[in-house]
Amino acid sequence: MGNAYAGQILRVNLTKGDWKVEELDMDLVRRFIGGRGLGGKILFDEVDPNVDPLGPENKLIFVTGPLTGTGAPTGCRYMVVAKSPLTGAIGYANSGGYLGAELKFAGYDGIIFEGKSEKPVYLSIDDDEIELKPASHLWGKSSTETDELIKAELGDQWRGVDTRVSCIGPAGEKLSRIAAIMTENSAAARTGLAAVMGSKNLKAIAVRGTKGVRLADAESFRAKVAEQVDVFRDHPAYGQFGTMHVYGTAAGMALGNVAGALPTRHFSGGTFEAAEAELDPQLMRETTTVRQKGCFACPIACKRVSKTTAPGFEGHGEGPEFETLCLLGICCGVNNLQAIIKAGFICNEMGLDTISTGVTIACAMELYERGYITDAEAGCKLNFGNAESMVEMTRKIGLREGIGDILAEGAYRTAEKFGHPEVFIGAKKMEMPAHHARGLQGMGLGYATSNRGACHNSAMMSSHEFPAIGTGTVTKGKPQMVKHAQELAAVVDSCGLCLFPTGVLMQEGILLLFNEATGFNFELKELMLAGERIWNQERLFNLKAGFTKADDTVSRRMLEEPLPDGPAEGNVLRLGEMLPEYYQLRGWNEDGIPSAEKLAALGLDHVKSSNKI
Amino acid sequence: MARIKIDYAKCTGCRHCEAACSLSHIEGIVNPKRSRIRVFSKGDAFYPVIAGPFTDAKCTSKVTVTVEGREFDECMLCRASCPIKPVFKEPDSGIPLKCDQCGEPADPQCVKWCASGALTLIEE
Repeated sequence: MGNAYAGQILRVNLTKGDWKVEELDMDLVRRFIGGRGLGGKILFDEVDPNVDPLGPENKLIFVTGPLTGTGAPTGCRYMVVAKSPLTGAIGYANSGGYLGAELKFAGYDGIIFEGKSEKPVYLSIDDDEIELKPASHLWGKSSTETDELIKAELGDQWRGVDTRVSCIGPAGEKLSRIAAIMTENSAAARTGLAAVMGSKNLKAIAVRGTKGVRLADAESFRAKVAEQVDVFRDHPAYGQFGTMHVYGTAAGMALGNVAGALPTRHFSGGTFEAAEAELDPQLMRETTTVRQKGCFACPIACKRVSKTTAPGFEGHGEGPEFETLCLLGICCGVNNLQAIIKAGFICNEMGLDTISTGVTIACAMELYERGYITDAEAGCKLNFGNAESMVEMTRKIGLREGIGDILAEGAYRTAEKFGHPEVFIGAKKMEMPAHHARGLQGMGLGYATSNRGACHNSAMMSSHEFPAIGTGTVTKGKPQMVKHAQELAAVVDSCGLCLFPTGVLMQEGILLLFNEATGFNFELKELMLAGERIWNQERLFNLKAGFTKADDTVSRRMLEEPLPDGPAEGNVLRLGEMLPEYYQLRGWNEDGIPSAEKLAALGLDHVKSSNKI
Repeated sequence: MARIKIDYAKCTGCRHCEAACSLSHIEGIVNPKRSRIRVFSKGDAFYPVIAGPFTDAKCTSKVTVTVEGREFDECMLCRASCPIKPVFKEPDSGIPLKCDQCGEPADPQCVKWCASGALTLIEE
């Protein structure tokens, strides 16, 4: 009988150019599940939190979850974990596509990359056949070129059909701190982990697997998934006629505008005049969308294939997501749909995080408008709303050309370089996504306390908070909601599922799939306790890396400058009303350090808890 | 007789059908490489192909198939398991695979797991 895990971890030493296959520690996965949890635990145990993120001592961990590749709805994710070069904290980013499942089919739960290769290489996995192949000829190639070249190199068309590639583009090679790891236009985007991959001279991973995944209770699992698919099929948001399938994540645009939660002109406002006109999802569907696309085992299919034809912005590729539209668009004051989509294509090819890239360009635009960046330094007019400059800037960041060399370091370092770090909007030096921290108090608390910086997925609060009906602007009850959302997200990320279907599967559905796949027979509270354990484990890494209570915050402007428009007008993020209660609920002391009792309850007490952590 | 109808335009390329097929034919294992339905892609489109009969000779004449203006090497849309094509065969033994509609009466699991409506079971 199987347990949904492949049972093996591949450890690759890039310095020596060798590898070994290690047995998966089943006691460890019972405590940390897999994915983000397991990756974070391995990082904590093996990497000194004070290492240089771009040095050979950092490790880059690709890791799947138990439900990856099982056929569980959306069970496709792989998580990448390393110390982040953007934040200096624990970095993790996950991606859909097909690579995660393929890795499981080849017989591996994860890969740990150590050291640094002397020359560019890529790792080829074909079941038990593992090889580090030269990649100098791929260096400098875009993500889709790399994908095609590797597939052509590895064999005939049929092997090519079955091979999955994850790679970095020029941005990762050039160690941009906002670079994303790409797999067929899906991105493990946040926290700049592609720079870690680039620093190790690792261009790509190519995987083909024929072994499959063995489940504990397959009959019952198959029936359960069929039932769940029936629910998805006709679901108003996620079904074949649902908004997420028909419009993609862009479906949230009007809601974001009505809620006043959009990141307009570098977060100076919350509503955008073009949100319901030029950036309307229906218009996008009629003019640029070619088709929808699903990751492995996904009943939703929120991905878009798009084509742009506007002069100067011609292109073909994937996206845009809601975040891409908001940050490359609204955050930069740009209302030109085709320009935004084109910029998204460029980010995909360069291997850039569209969230961080959009906010960084918007940050540069504000610096420019305030006179802190000159025309000569910018190399162009960099005013808000300038679509041409926005698109050109994505290319320059990817190639580190001109001012792009500075912007490639991310928004915080850009603002600092031009002498005005206060202009930066984000948390722990990571750029803020498209959900306003001032109108959504819980989201703001989530940003402040997220272990990886300003992240909207660490606590999915935007679906619970609507300023238009008053729930977004209240702080009461939010610490408890955020704590729970953070732990649920940790469970989902560790199982190998996507966050989107949690509202359909519910905790109980996830638990059922998890138990039938693994045979662990957990109770719900055990699974959620694992989520809390994972959260605290990540916190311990950050504390050892030197983070303190002072880092549990967001940019000062979110706390001091009232939102000027929308239903949440006049609000600031009232973090002070929530943070002490949040610490208390977490069982942390007033400095945000986990108590000895809490660590013991979570089984993390082999780690000394003191103010000196 | 029951038939599985494929609507290419609705296929999202999620390959949930491959997972379902393998799980219903192999004891406790999900393995798309052993599935009797495979999803191929060309350009922006996805093409689910259901395994047909085994043939022990490879084709001696080649044709090009045009679907909605898109040209295909006929192998990609061909349902046969044949000597030159590694799909629709057990990866280890090479034993050919063929769709059996998951038994009699037909109860194809690929259709049950297809949320996009690309696969439907029709009676005629």
